[in-house]
Amino acid sequence: MKTLPHHRLSRRLLALFVLLTLWESMSRFGWLDPFYLPAASAVANVLIELVASGQLWPHLQATFVAAFGGLVAGLVLGIGLGFAAALSPLLADLLEPIMVLLNAIPRVILAPLFVIWLGIDLASKMALALILVAVLMFFAVYNGIKEVDQRLVERIQTLGGGRRFLIREVYVPSVTAWVMGNFKVAVGFAFTGAVVGEFVASSRGLGYLLQFAQSTYNAALTIALIVVTMTFVLLLFALSERLERRLLRWR
Amino acid sequence: MLHVRGLTVAFGGQPVLEAIDFDVGTGEFTSLIGPSGSGKTSILRAVSALLRPQSGTVALDVPLNDVGFLFQDDALLPWRTVRQNITLGLRIRGFAPKAAVEKAEHWLSLLGLEGFGDRYPRQLSGGQRKRVAMAQVLVLEPRLLLMDEPFASLDAIVRMRITEELLSWVEREHMTVLLVTHDLEEAISASDVIYVLSQGPQATIRARHQIGIARPRRVLETRRDPLFAPLMQLLWEELSE
Repeated sequence: MKTLPHHRLSRRLLALFVLLTLWESMSRFGWLDPFYLPAASAVANVLIELVASGQLWPHLQATFVAAFGGLVAGLVLGIGLGFAAALSPLLADLLEPIMVLLNAIPRVILAPLFVIWLGIDLASKMALALILVAVLMFFAVYNGIKEVDQRLVERIQTLGGGRRFLIREVYVPSVTAWVMGNFKVAVGFAFTGAVVGEFVASSRGLGYLLQFAQSTYNAALTIALIVVTMTFVLLLFALSERLERRLLRWR
Repeated sequence: MLHVRGLTVAFGGQPVLEAIDFDVGTGEFTSLIGPSGSGKTSILRAVSALLRPQSGTVALDVPLNDVGFLFQDDALLPWRTVRQNITLGLRIRGFAPKAAVEKAEHWLSLLGLEGFGDRYPRQLSGGQRKRVAMAQVLVLEPRLLLMDEPFASLDAIVRMRITEELLSWVEREHMTVLLVTHDLEEAISASDVIYVLSQGPQATIRARHQIGIARPRRVLETRRDPLFAPLMQLLWEELSE
């Protein structure tokens, strides 16, 4: 995240504070039905309880492992296939229709199928995160390579460079820019995949807890879990922005 | 050094250039001038094998690896530093990294870019980028240098200075140069031989002029040479017919 000037940061914090105060006082005045929207303090208490009792960690860990595993595997697969398709017209013809189809559907509908194939453990969540990320990255890389600056390609050629240098000096760096441009979306997708996968069928994870909270009509727990997920993803966004700044410092 | 015979280049069936014949002698500075759209750039692209001609031959006395190409734009690799951009061709030719960096530093100081080695192209001015692009090509010590209106995008003062630097370097090294330009003054100041292309499509060589102005030359002084004004007049007439 870009560091904000102090006055803008404090304005944003103020907005958050006003919202929370409004929420809390409306609950205190009895204007909000706690069944639907419990007080901010009640949500905070659930949150503190989750963290203090240590209940949260195994679930957070399960979701993180599924999302991270799916992210890494999805990046490798998507980037690999994108490169391969861009370099081989045969592969492009074979892969493009499948990818276009996978891109067109909401890929989370594959979740039940993955549960049938891979069971309710880690593998099915990872697979869902993987497919979400891989399709995104395939198109980022495939289109990225097709739109590589031809002047740079000719530069390498007139300097006597062959395929090896073209890939190393032109294709890989320009694809890195495309991948990093989509990286945050991919992180979000990986979490969507993991949580939705857990939501469908699991015995652990934030999605499992959410499913449990929903089936017991526990709105406080549901909101607390949403806050946990948001905080965690925002943290990962901040990390990916640092990575992006480092890899794209030439910009 | 370079012998072009019957070169015909077509795009989509429409010939841009037709039956071009010309030679570039070793150690000569040769310019091709012609109106826009006369296919000047295509000639350089055919010489450097970036473009396959419809027919005709391009014969080089040196391997293609000894041909340097300075392009019109200065598209350096944006993700590589100035130093990495300059050493690119050396690395392609298998130079040891240390030797390559030493050569790059030499060129940086030669072109007044000391201390810019770690910058990225985005951080340079247009003139500085052009110098880096020159270093990228010249560090390979090409035996034939092709240039496609290399300084067109620069402002007049920077342009004059860079042309001057390049000219003195070419004279000192007795380098063979083929320059494509539509700037008549630039062509006369720099060249030993000028070929004039006719208006395209189906452009062809319509005249050859030997430029007898004594060397070494300085760009501004060449303009006061008694040969300069009549040549200018002649070329102008040939081009505007």
